Order: sequence, then structure tokens, then C-alpha cells
Amino acid sequence: MADITNTSAKQGNVEMDDVLRYELLESNGPKGAPTGDPVLSVRDLKVSFNTEAGRVDAVRGVNFDLWGGRTLGIVGESGSGKSVTALSLIGLLDDNAHVTGSIKLGDEELIGKTDEEMSELRGTKISMIFQDPLSALTPMFSIGDQLAEALLTHNPHMSKADVRKRCIELLSIVGITDPENRLDSFPHEFSGGMRQRVVIAIAIANNPDIIIADEPTTALDVTIQAQILDVLKVAQKETGAAVVLITHDLGVVAGTADDIMVMYAGRGVERASVDTLFAEPRHPYTMGLLGAVPKPHLQAEHRLVPIKGNPPSLAAIPTGCPFNPRCPMATEECSKKEPALLPANAAEGHLASCHHLQEICEKKLTYAEVYPDFEPILPKWVDVPRNKRPVVLKVENLTKTFPVQGKGFIRRSKGTMTAVDRASFEIHEGETLALVGESGSGKSTTLMQIMDLLKPEDGRITVLGKDVAELKNAAQRRELRKDLQVIFQDPMSSLDPRMPVYDVLAEPLQAQGWNKEDINTRIGELMRLVGINPDYVDRFPSQFSGGQRQRIAIARALATSPKILLLDEPIASLDVSIQAGIINLLEDLQVQLKISYLFVAHDLAVIRHISDTVAVMHLGKIVEYGETEDVFTNPQDPYTKALLSAIPIPDPKIERTRERMIYQDGKLVPATHISNE
Amino acid sequence: MSKEELQNKDEKNVSIDAGLTNAERELQADAKSDNKEVKRISYAGLIARRFFRQRSAVIGLIILGIMVLIAVFGPYATPFNYTDADFTAINMAPNAKHWFGTDGAGIDLYACVVHGLGRSLTIGISYAILTTIISAIIGTAIAYVRGIPEKIGMWLLDMLMVIPSFLLVAMIVRAAGGESGWLMLIFGLTAFGWIGRARTIRTMALSLRERDYVKAAKYMGVPPFTIIVRHLIPNLGSILIIDLVLAVIGGINSETAFSFLGLGIKAPDTSLGYLLSAGSSAMLTTPWMILIPSAFLIVVCVGLQLIGDGLRDAFDPYSRAAGSVKDQEEDSSKDDAQLGDLEGSIVSEETTERA
Amino acid sequence: MARFVWYVTKRILSYIVMIFVATSLTFFLASSFMNPRSNFEQRTPRPPQESIEENLYRTNLNDKTPVIERYQVWVTNLFTKFDLGMTPTGDNVNREMSSKFMASIELMTPATILSVVIGVSLGVYTAQRQYQWQDRFLSGVASVLLVIPTVVMAILIVFAAIEINARAGSRIFYVTDLSSGDTGNFFTWLIDFLQHIILPTIVLTIVSSVGYHLSQRTYLLDEMHADYVRTARAKGLTRKKAIRKHALRVSLIPTAVSVAFSLAGIFTGAVMTEKVFAIHGLGEYFINCINNNNIHGAVAVAAFSGAMTLVGALLADLFAAALDPRIKMS
Repeated sequence: MADITNTSAKQGNVEMDDVLRYELLESNGPKGAPTGDPVLSVRDLKVSFNTEAGRVDAVRGVNFDLWGGRTLGIVGESGSGKSVTALSLIGLLDDNAHVTGSIKLGDEELIGKTDEEMSELRGTKISMIFQDPLSALTPMFSIGDQLAEALLTHNPHMSKADVRKRCIELLSIVGITDPENRLDSFPHEFSGGMRQRVVIAIAIANNPDIIIADEPTTALDVTIQAQILDVLKVAQKETGAAVVLITHDLGVVAGTADDIMVMYAGRGVERASVDTLFAEPRHPYTMGLLGAVPKPHLQAEHRLVPIKGNPPSLAAIPTGCPFNPRCPMATEECSKKEPALLPANAAEGHLASCHHLQEICEKKLTYAEVYPDFEPILPKWVDVPRNKRPVVLKVENLTKTFPVQGKGFIRRSKGTMTAVDRASFEIHEGETLALVGESGSGKSTTLMQIMDLLKPEDGRITVLGKDVAELKNAAQRRELRKDLQVIFQDPMSSLDPRMPVYDVLAEPLQAQGWNKEDINTRIGELMRLVGINPDYVDRFPSQFSGGQRQRIAIARALATSPKILLLDEPIASLDVSIQAGIINLLEDLQVQLKISYLFVAHDLAVIRHISDTVAVMHLGKIVEYGETEDVFTNPQDPYTKALLSAIPIPDPKIERTRERMIYQDGKLVPATHISNE
Repeated sequence: MSKEELQNKDEKNVSIDAGLTNAERELQADAKSDNKEVKRISYAGLIARRFFRQRSAVIGLIILGIMVLIAVFGPYATPFNYTDADFTAINMAPNAKHWFGTDGAGIDLYACVVHGLGRSLTIGISYAILTTIISAIIGTAIAYVRGIPEKIGMWLLDMLMVIPSFLLVAMIVRAAGGESGWLMLIFGLTAFGWIGRARTIRTMALSLRERDYVKAAKYMGVPPFTIIVRHLIPNLGSILIIDLVLAVIGGINSETAFSFLGLGIKAPDTSLGYLLSAGSSAMLTTPWMILIPSAFLIVVCVGLQLIGDGLRDAFDPYSRAAGSVKDQEEDSSKDDAQLGDLEGSIVSEETTERA
Repeated sequence: MARFVWYVTKRILSYIVMIFVATSLTFFLASSFMNPRSNFEQRTPRPPQESIEENLYRTNLNDKTPVIERYQVWVTNLFTKFDLGMTPTGDNVNREMSSKFMASIELMTPATILSVVIGVSLGVYTAQRQYQWQDRFLSGVASVLLVIPTVVMAILIVFAAIEINARAGSRIFYVTDLSSGDTGNFFTWLIDFLQHIILPTIVLTIVSSVGYHLSQRTYLLDEMHADYVRTARAKGLTRKKAIRKHALRVSLIPTAVSVAFSLAGIFTGAVMTEKVFAIHGLGEYFINCINNNNIHGAVAVAAFSGAMTLVGALLADLFAAALDPRIKMS
């Protein structure tokens, strides 16, 4: 390891040699220590972009090796540099990227290769699976053509019959039934999960040595996610390739990866075998990430502890340790010098970059000690017990159908689609009901039906004792809107970018006819209530972070002191480390103001943490409805069981051993049965 | 424990103070963080900076400025006007007395051109402003109402689009004549000029109406018209402004076409289009009569086009053109970052969460 | 297939309703803004009053008849005899219009083909070289040409042609009409035709190819950064090949749609170009109608253009359905 094409100090070389040595010691994982030579070695990889926002250092010195048959999980939040790392391996970065360091495929140096030279290796040696399967396939070509292209690009003389045979074989490997007939289908005829299977089939077509999967399941529903992760394992077994799995979800890597690198602000801050990392995280950031997410398999015992602050922008990385502004252990030293990645446990190849590493290792500090902030769950029901509280929202047999239309030239009506099918539930004052379901389950439609305050197609919606079908005019509806407000998923989209915070918060009050002085007072109150400095009223939404924007959206919803808040996936678009803060805020507000929440979500872990009752929706129907703990510990409906078995659990030991169930035509089937087909 | 006490405590210990709500903690963290006052620059200021950073856009603006100055003050620079003939100079080529020459009747072309330039600019600008307002309101309103009113609105727009508007305008403006003919021309152009743009604006408003802030406003009980004016139109602002500039070109082009055909501006009034029409009959004997107005038209239109392109790049946070000189200005990169955010995008390598 | 035919039929029926309503509105608009009476009153010597009334009444143009009644007569003739009405001079509009078609078609067909081919090729060429000098230069020229009024462009080209003729000392280019009239053998006719058609074709090609150029460039730039191009590159295609094979194909759909729309324009001609080059096509006819207070003629041209616009829309839908597998035909 002498010929590193890098100009940095000699110390760098020593460090890098160490990395290799320690990696070989990663013996604690499911597959033991790696053996033989790595297929790919990455040394001191640095990527920067010259963008409008100035120079962005997306990757700042990353080292790792890949071995055939092993999976490296790269975990990080937005802006951690994980996707750029992945793209630089396969040479698909934009032209304005400046890449230095070394990426060696066997003896071949990849950095500096032209697009033509790299194209020889893409598909044959290195292949890639992308995040969004819906846009990853060319809409104009059939699945068969796109698969065949992958084969013919590298084997131009392959016969037509051989190509077809191989395509059918590939489709069956990734679990697409009836592959002969599916070859002529176009991408739009496939669901997202099916398309991702096709993308995987394309990726393994030429038996690559390395498969890079960049957030392959992020755009998919949880049950589909579980299936795709299984397909990925099959693909790896089939090709013997090294897999790089990039994700923000620790649950996803727990069951899939052998080794893990946690990235923060463009560098690896901790790396270890999967078991070690989950059992003994040594970097405060890793500890925080593991601790801040609610556990889907455990009952909530204490409130969540958020990591304060926000992930840094790559254009403005803090000096010193980039995590220091958010770290509970940060000292003077941390803000001055960036720590190196050093062994925490040399014997197991466990590395972490923290100035307090020694202290953490010696004292065996855990999450509970580094973030010593555990509080008991808030006592919600002390003054009035739940069953004595009035029902504030009651939905009975709600039904909503949509006409289904073809797209484009022939807009023929294909009949109707029942989005919500006789859904019934009720919410007491100060209670949280979670409406759980995958995309297309009708959960968001239900929510919008309630918000519309119009007579439903069928059934009845009663808000605070008033049947909405009996509301006669816009004025009466406006009156009721005061007590019924909504929070959306994406705070970027729910705040008008052209309006300062003051106007955003004043809008609901103006609609209710408040006068100017009252509005001014109320805005100050609201901002304090959600934890935004009231001095910031003149700022625009873009000047706040994602978490702060969601706080502003919450403040706007609370402006008219509503009794009921409908939340449409309120934390799903936030970074993992700041979700906990929003959950805590919502819990506080519920206790302070006795608001009822209808919490629509797909994330079962969060639901288990926050809700009192759960309604599980599937294809428009509520298939299970009950107390949260009952539903989680003793699910009755087969769909609920399948859903619960599909949630990735951030604990590798549990994740590896539990059996996944798949819901098929009203029955439960063990997942192994399918993936071995 | 009061908040003052809390704030005096050592940073490391604050987080273990139990009994604080999440909001209170957040406020404390905010108070502690070294809250450098963000140097604010207004959105308009930002766009202006990015606009003026482009050389071609500045040239366009200078051209337009000069043209407006010529149109306003040009008539005072000559003793002749566009109606009175100088019988001592007929069909004269450009010379010291008649800068742009004269026509067969001895009318001074310079006087005609400065007056015609003013006419053309007035028509172009009035047309652009009127159609922008009408199309913005109708386009967004049709998009916002949904349901049956939207269907009716679209059917009407389609119906109005069926007959090429050029033909309809021609029928109306043929009646234009005399000194107030140009008002009729503006009316005719506007009456059918907004339709196509209203359709485009509706298409763009279709995605805006699905934005959560529009839904949120609706669920707060904000009246529809207020939502249109407060949320939809301002968020189409950049497109409307660019279109406004391009519509000025469109207006000038239409004026030229109709007047050339003898349907728009007619004698005794004059415009650049009318001058072309008059000059084309004696193209070989008095070429200046047609080349000079042509040159003015080209310069005005290209100047406006440069402004339009400059605005487009200034509004587009991804455009390289507007940021190409960033090395010269140290703090300009920050503006760009801020602009990127204002436009709803963050410099981030990935979208981490599910859509 | 039966269902397909039914949907196309339904579509055409709704188009016919739309054209009818739009044409009727045009009729009322034309009737209120045009004054055929003045044609007669301004004649010298002025014809006797009875003769004026008689003439106007016979051609169904008399403003003393309520406009609704004139409309009824016009509609009845249109539906029963497909008679588009009469000009103030008593000629039949159907006959006048049919003689103008050929000139418009001769003028527009080569220009349309050339502008699509040149415009789309330039669009693809410049998109692939975004920010390079070729792109900056060609797209810059295109955006300047885009805003220059057609008349100005036509006049400048005429000037250049006259200059060339003068330098050459012989008539290489004709600047008016489509033929010199003397029909020798086919070969001399063709040479003569080419000498006439080349200048207006240049004007029309410039005017519409810059539009295709700039829009094709935008479409391709949009698609070049699509995820599926990255997938194609990840398979092992070079960037150029991935763009050529995948992005280009998708980016041609919107272009094909707008080409379909412009095909209808072949029949309706180009007003400005016909005027400058004195070509007796439908565009020039329309202007003459307006100047001569020929209400029925103007309405007929408008209705014909409307019908062509909708044929274009139908064609555009069919093109899109044929090219884009996402849009199903059945």
C-alpha cells in the first residue's frame, strides 16, 4: 500500500494501512472476518463540487475495502456524502465533480478513467441499483429490451435465443412470475417493487463483482422493502458480488450488512462489523442515531432523546469535529481539530473518530450515559381518565370512490376504485389514533375527506358533535375549521416560500377574522410554544431547517387553538436525528393543550411510540382497530401480522433470526417460501 | 427552576434539566447558539444581483433604456415632425438635415422613426401588461376551482384557441384608424392575446394547486380568491415576469405584422410596422426607408430578448449563466445558496426520505 | 379496435361542436366589425341606393337585415349545400378559396419539412454540447432570429436576393409569386418554380426551425438528466450512447406532437410571407377578404383554419399514442 495518489501528510498513509489491517479483523459479524484480497479498495476518496453555493466538499477522505460475498452498509443522513461515495465508485458523478484519492478494482485504478473506459467496467464489474425505481427505467422500451441491452452492450455477439433465455432466467432470479410473458411489458405496467426487481435483474445480468445499492428501498412500502432486501440477498448469492448498501435507515442494514460505516459530513465516523456497531456504538453520533429512533419491537419506556441541531450543510461544514455543535460530549478540543478514525477495539476492527474515544471505551459509555436525558413517558390521563373524555371525532362507515381513467389519448373510464371502504373509528379528547397503511391504502384519502368538511359519499363524519353533512355554508364550515387543523408531510411544501413566518402564522387567524393586535400577540405565543425564537418572524421558510419548518407548520395549525389535529406523515420527510424532537414536541403539546391527534403514518415504530389506539388500513378497509399495545403484541389480522413482520428492526441479532411473513390473497405465507423459488 | 437560572447554567448540564418541554429546550439551544444576525437580502435584491451579473442582460437593459429615451426625447431633437412634409427635400438619402432621409412626400424619416418607436413600444408594453394580468388571473382561477367550472373554463379556452387569434385580431383592428387607432390595436391584440398564455399559466398552476400550503390555506377557511392572489400568483411570479418581457416582443411583432398588412396603425399616425409597409413599395429607390425602421425593430426586439434571457437565468437557481462570475464577488455565492433555498431546493446530495 | 374507432369518433364529434361554436362567434364578430356597404358607397360614381340594397341583400350581407337572420341563412346554406356564402361582389367563396389551396400547399410543404429536419437536428446537436461554444453560438443566433419580426426578415432576404441578382447580372431569384406563368416543359417549369419558391422557403424555414431548435434542445436537456439515462450508463453504455438511445427517444415525443400541430398549417399558409412575396395563397386571401369587407370569405378562412387546428390536435394525439407506450390505444 505504498502508491497512494494523494498529497496529504504521511500520517494519512499510516492511517490508511491501519484501516486495511483493522478491516481484516472485523471478525465479530455474521460471516466472521473477511478473507483473501479485496475486490475493491477505496483510499482517501475525496469528492468536491463547484456549485452555485461555492465549493461543496461532499466526500472528505473515505477508506474502505470490499470483499466478494460481503455487504458493506453505508449509513448516513442527508448530506453525509454517502450517495456521492457510491456514484464515484461507478464513475457516474456529474462533470463538475472533482475526485481525488484512489479507487482500485483489483490492480486497476478507476479514478481518472474516461467515460468510455469506465463504461467497459460498468455492468460487468460494477453495477448499481438506484433509489427510485419509478424513474429508473426508460418508459419507451420494454422490460425485455432493457434487460437485453445490458447483455448485448458487453456481449454484442450473443444470439437472440441466448439473450432471451438469459433474460427469462434473470427475471426468475429476482422473483418475477411468468417471466416469458413479462418480457414484452413496459415499465409503467409494473408496480414500484416489480420495477426495482427488474433494476436488480439488470444489475446482475453480467455477473458483476460489485453491486452498489443506493437507498434501494427508500421509495418503497415497508412490506415491499422487505421483499426487495430479500431479492438483493438472492442476487448477491447468485453473483458472489460484494454489495454496498447505502441507506439512512439503520433497520435496513441490521439484517443485511456484514460491515457498517457510519458517515457524517463526508467522512466515516465509525466503522465496525454490524453486530459490534449495534451492540457497542462508540461514536456519540452513532449512539444518538440508534437511540433517537423508537424501537418497533419494544414498548416505549421513556421519551425519545433527540440529537439537537441539524445535520450540517456540505457547503458549510463546522470546523473541528463536524459533529461538535450537536454532540453532548463536545469540549473545547472538539471544535478545533477534526479527530482521526482510530481503533476503539483493535481486535474487532472497530474504529471511531472522536476525541473522547478513549474515555468512551474505558468507561464503556453507552447511549444512556452520553445522552443522559431520559424522561418518563408523559402522564396524559392524570386529570381525566381516557374513557371519561368526550369523543371529538367520529367517523362511521366512511366511503370514498374515485373514477378510474386511462391516461392520455383515450381517457376511458375503467369504472371506479374504492379508496376508502366503510371506515369507522373515533377519537377521544387528548387521544392519539394512528391510521397505518401502505401507499394506496386510503389513509390519506380518509384524512382529506375529514378535512373537506363536505357530506361524504356514504357514511358519516362527526366533528365535535356536529355532523359535517349538516353544515350548510362556507361560514359554518369556517367556524368548524377553527377546531380542526392539519399538518402535512413535507414542511418545504406546506409553507409558502414567498411568505415570511409572520404572514404564514397570521393566515389562519385572518381567516377567522382576528384583529391585528390579537394576531401579533398570538404569533408571539405560538412561536414560543413550538420553540422558534419569536424574533424570527420576518424570516422566510427557506431560512429555517427542515425540523424548524415543521415546527412552524405545527404553530400555524395550532394558531386557532384547534381541538383536533390531523397529521399526515408529519415526520416522514425529516432526517432521522431530528424526528425525535418533533415527536417530543407533539407529545408536549398534547399534554399542555389536550388536543386529539389523528396520526397518519407508515412508520410503525413511531406509531407504537406515540399513539394510544391504532387502525390498520389495507385497500381502503380498516382491517384491525384496537389499543396500540394489543395490536403490536397480539395482532389478529393476517395483513397486520405481515406488516409487523416486515418492519426492519434496528438489532441485527433479532433481524437475522426472525421469520418474515408475506400477505398473499388474505393468507400469510412465510417469506422464505417465496424468495427460494 | 426559572428560565434565567437555566440559562446561566453550564452548557453541558442544561440538557439534563428535567421538566422542560421540547419547545423550551429548543428556544434555549437557539439562544445559546452563536446567533450571528443573518445578513438578509430581499428576494428582489437577490434577483437583481444575479441579473446584473450577466453582461448580456445588462446590454439588453441599456438598449431598452436608450430606445425609451429616443422615443421620449427624440422628437425634440429635430425641427421636423412626422406629419409635415418638407417639399424641398423629397426622396432624400440620409444627410445632415434629414438624419434618416425623407420619403417621396418629403416627410422626415427620423421624426417618423422616433414617433413610431414610441408607438410600437407603447403598444408592446401595454399589451404585455394587460395580457399578463388577465391571463394570470384567469389561468390560475381555472386551475384552482377544479371540477365542473374548470371543465367549462377549459372548454371555453379550447374553443377560443380553435380559430387562430391572428385572424380574429385582424378583423377587429382593421377598424383602427386615425390618431386613436393605436388604442384599438391594443384592445384587439389584448382581446385574443391572453388566451394562449392563460392556458400555459393554468398548466403551471396545476402543480401549484397541489402544494400543501395551498391545501393548508383552504383548510383554514381562506376564501378562494384570496388564495389565488396570495399564494398562486406570487409563486408564479418569476414566470409571469419573464413572460411579461417576452410578451412585449410579441406585442411589437404583432403591431409590425398588422400595420404592415395595412390593418393596424394607419396614416396620419405612424409606427415601425407602418413605416415598413410604406417603405416596401419603394424598396429599390429609397432603401433607407425600410432598412432604418427594420434596424430599430431588430435592436429593440433583441434587447428585450436579452433582458428576458437574463431574467430567466436570474430566476433559475440552477442556471450556470447567472453564477459564472462568482469568483469576483466574494459573498455572491451565499446569495446563490439563499436563492437555491428560496426556490425550494437545497444543495443536498440526496433525497433521503420516502416521497 | 371498435372501441378505438368509437373514441376517435367521439373526439371528432366534440371537435365539430367546438368548431361550429367558434365559427359562429367569428361570424358575429366579423359582421359587427366589417362593413360591406361601404364598398358600394365609396364607388365613384356612387351606385343608386336600390342597387346597393339589392346587391347587399342578394349576397346576404345587408346590415339592415338583423344579424340573426343573416346568420340563419348562412348556417342553413352551410349545412344544406355546404355553401360558404358570397363575397360582396357576388362571387362564390367556395370557388375563390379552392383556387388558393394549391399555392399554400406548394409554399408550405417544403418549408415545413425543412424546418423540422433542420430545427430538430440543431436542437439535438446543441443540447449535447450545452455550454460549449457551438451551443452558445447556435442557440444565441436562434434566440435572436426568434424575435425578429417575420416581415423584417422577409424584407432583408428580399434585399439580399435583389443584391445578388444585380451582382450576377441575371435573375437568379424571383421575389414575387410562385411561377412566371409561361409553362414550357416540366424541366423549365421546375427550374422556374425553384427560383420562385426558394426565398419564401428560406424565410419560413428560419422562422419555424428556430422554434423547433430551441424546444428540442430544452426537451433533450430535460431528459438527459433523467434517472433512466443513469441506469443505462450503469449498464455499460457510454454517456453519449445512453443519451442517443434513451433520452433522445423520449425527448422526441413532444416534438412529434408539435410537428403534428404544424402539419395543419400547410393548408392555411403563412399570411406575412405570402404578402411579402405576393403569393396567392389562403393567407393573402384572408387579408384581401378583410380589406374588401368580405365577411363570408373571412369567416370561411377562419373556420377552415379552425378545422385544421383541430385536425392537428387529433394528429398530435395519434402521434403521441403511437410513440409513447404509456398511452394505450385500446
